[in-house]
Amino acid sequence: MIQVNNLSKSFDSIQAVKEISFSINKGEVFGLLGPNGAGKSTTINMMSTILKSDVGEIHINGIDIKQSPNICKQLIGVVPQEISLYDDFTAYDNLMFWGSLYKIPAKELKKKISDILELIGLSDRKNDLIKTYSGGMKRRINIAAAILHKPEIIFMDEPTVGVDPQSRNKIFEIIETLNQQGITIIYTTHYMEEVERLCNRIAIMDSGRIIAQGSQAELLQQSNAKEAIVITFQTVSETQIMQLQNKFELEINQEEQKVTIGCDVNKDLSNIISVCNNNNLKIEDIELKKVNLEAIFLNLTGKHLRD
Amino acid sequence: MILTIFKKDIKLFFSDKRAVLLTFLMPILLISLFAFAFGGVGGNSKAKPIQLLVVDIDDSSGSKSVIAGLDSLSGLTLIPKEIEEAIGLVRKGKHVGVLIFEKGFQDSIIAGNSLPMELKYDAAREIEMGMLQSVLMQKLMSTVGKKSIKAKMSRYFDENFSGIPSSIREKIFNDMDSGNSNMSSSMNDSLSLKMTSIIKEVTKKGNLGLIQAVAGTAIMMLLFSIATIGGGLIDEKESGTLKRLLYSPLKPTDILFGKMGAALVLAILQLLVMFLFSWLVFGLPIFKDITALLLMILTTAFAVSSFGIFLVAIAKSRQQLQGLSTIIILTMSAIGGSMIPLFVMPTIMQKIAVVSVNYWGIQGFYDIFWRNLSLIDMLPKMGILIGIGLVMTIISVKLFKKNVLKLVDV
Repeated sequence: MIQVNNLSKSFDSIQAVKEISFSINKGEVFGLLGPNGAGKSTTINMMSTILKSDVGEIHINGIDIKQSPNICKQLIGVVPQEISLYDDFTAYDNLMFWGSLYKIPAKELKKKISDILELIGLSDRKNDLIKTYSGGMKRRINIAAAILHKPEIIFMDEPTVGVDPQSRNKIFEIIETLNQQGITIIYTTHYMEEVERLCNRIAIMDSGRIIAQGSQAELLQQSNAKEAIVITFQTVSETQIMQLQNKFELEINQEEQKVTIGCDVNKDLSNIISVCNNNNLKIEDIELKKVNLEAIFLNLTGKHLRD
Repeated sequence: MILTIFKKDIKLFFSDKRAVLLTFLMPILLISLFAFAFGGVGGNSKAKPIQLLVVDIDDSSGSKSVIAGLDSLSGLTLIPKEIEEAIGLVRKGKHVGVLIFEKGFQDSIIAGNSLPMELKYDAAREIEMGMLQSVLMQKLMSTVGKKSIKAKMSRYFDENFSGIPSSIREKIFNDMDSGNSNMSSSMNDSLSLKMTSIIKEVTKKGNLGLIQAVAGTAIMMLLFSIATIGGGLIDEKESGTLKRLLYSPLKPTDILFGKMGAALVLAILQLLVMFLFSWLVFGLPIFKDITALLLMILTTAFAVSSFGIFLVAIAKSRQQLQGLSTIIILTMSAIGGSMIPLFVMPTIMQKIAVVSVNYWGIQGFYDIFWRNLSLIDMLPKMGILIGIGLVMTIISVKLFKKNVLKLVDV
């Protein structure tokens, strides 16, 4: 559905996006994950036609967006990072305005607004001014304004910034509902939990480049990051450590009475505990270190997502 | 902590070079402008003479001699014309007035009768006319006035005091010529130049001050109102709605023209309200030529709203917008006659005034309420207002296309 080839963009001497390529299939939720300044928003701006690339091509449904930006604009909806609404308008008036930009007939638009307000759970507040809304409610209207024209693709640029957990969950539900309706979603964030929950496939960006892409399982395979169990003992002797070393690969922190055992957590946990018991090792604490996107990102770049 | 904030704000301010430039350039420009307007600059340079039309119906050696005498004055240039053309030019505001030497002028000098001469002038330039009048009277007195009065007195002496010795008569006439006796000044006063406002002849006298106040102020305030349109775009930028508009199928020029449309409607409404108010409260005769008034309101509103979108197109920050709008509005209002009536300004400022939308608007409203011109005669001014609007719109579109992405920080 979307094909991005060899895309680059510079601002003066700064190269914001460097020769990135990826494709997105219809109905996918595709995550663009990376820290601030990774080039995610620049990529979204190019894909949503408002910014021209220096090099490279973007095709949406086979249409070159540089050649036919207006056709592509009808196919996409963008949920900007900022809450881009008119504070002195009601929610309903805002939606009427944003919907009317897509030349939707008034009757049809009213019906769509009614349906969408139902979807986002704000029908009863539709006549209230936006400035009276909470941050989470504004975020939901911000999404609603982008989907009125029933786009096939929705770009969501960090749509949960600054919202409370309850509103975040509601936004996730909205995204999942939209995806179930067959809408393709491109989701940018620096929250790996959001990507893990929502995205089928992920591209990890850093310093303008895509450093890894694929499903979570594929990223795990590409990465050298391994799962581990960290055990803190009440007391541990050198002899006991040596007995453990005979059975497992260990990283030892003798001072803190702590060992890190690289393993498959689900498969090896019970075996490790029984070995400890057999060697009379008294466990004070166990921490399971699963491989997640944060770990993969750390492994790939040597830095944290929120650095 | 306060020092940290202070340093940050100073750094932010100086990072916006255009805002810095405007902050310092604006007062310099305004100081220069007012210095020009009040004649404080170039005071030693030779002033351009006032051009006065002259119609010599008498066509006598006497009238020719007076015309030559007046033309020799350094502050005055006489331009001979036929009567109809001359009155037409004054009525249209092209010249300040016309001095007419009627038939029998020479005979009246010889006979000592009242001189059949008349100064018809554009009452819209009453102050300029006042200055001209004193120059004319002085010269006329020194040429024809004394001759006429001497002739009149000789006749009076002959009729009533024929026995007065000629030496006493000569003494009296010498005192008149010396110009330093009480008699001389009383004689000077006896010469009067008939002065007629051309507008007064055509219609009931209007209130020039009111027209100046309404037209001048209305256009200046209109410019201030339109500047808020620029502020609206900065609001859109700051709230992110401008970027969202660009994501939609709208073209950047659609956004610009949308704002211009809003500005135009607001400008028309504002002018209508101002003129209605002037009618209700001050009795400004707005219905004397309602078609012309509406067309002038439309064309003025169009020209002014084009300045609104020019501000939209050029300003990238709120500071820039405030600086630019202040400088543009005050400059155009000052040179265009909104703040100071044009006729009190030096000639060079009157010439510069034509670059201002205020000038054409104010002159257009003068044409309606004071000069009573026909719609056809007003069309050139309306055309110029439309032209200003079109040029500013074209420039604004080009600038906006270039700057819009910088506005949304992509």
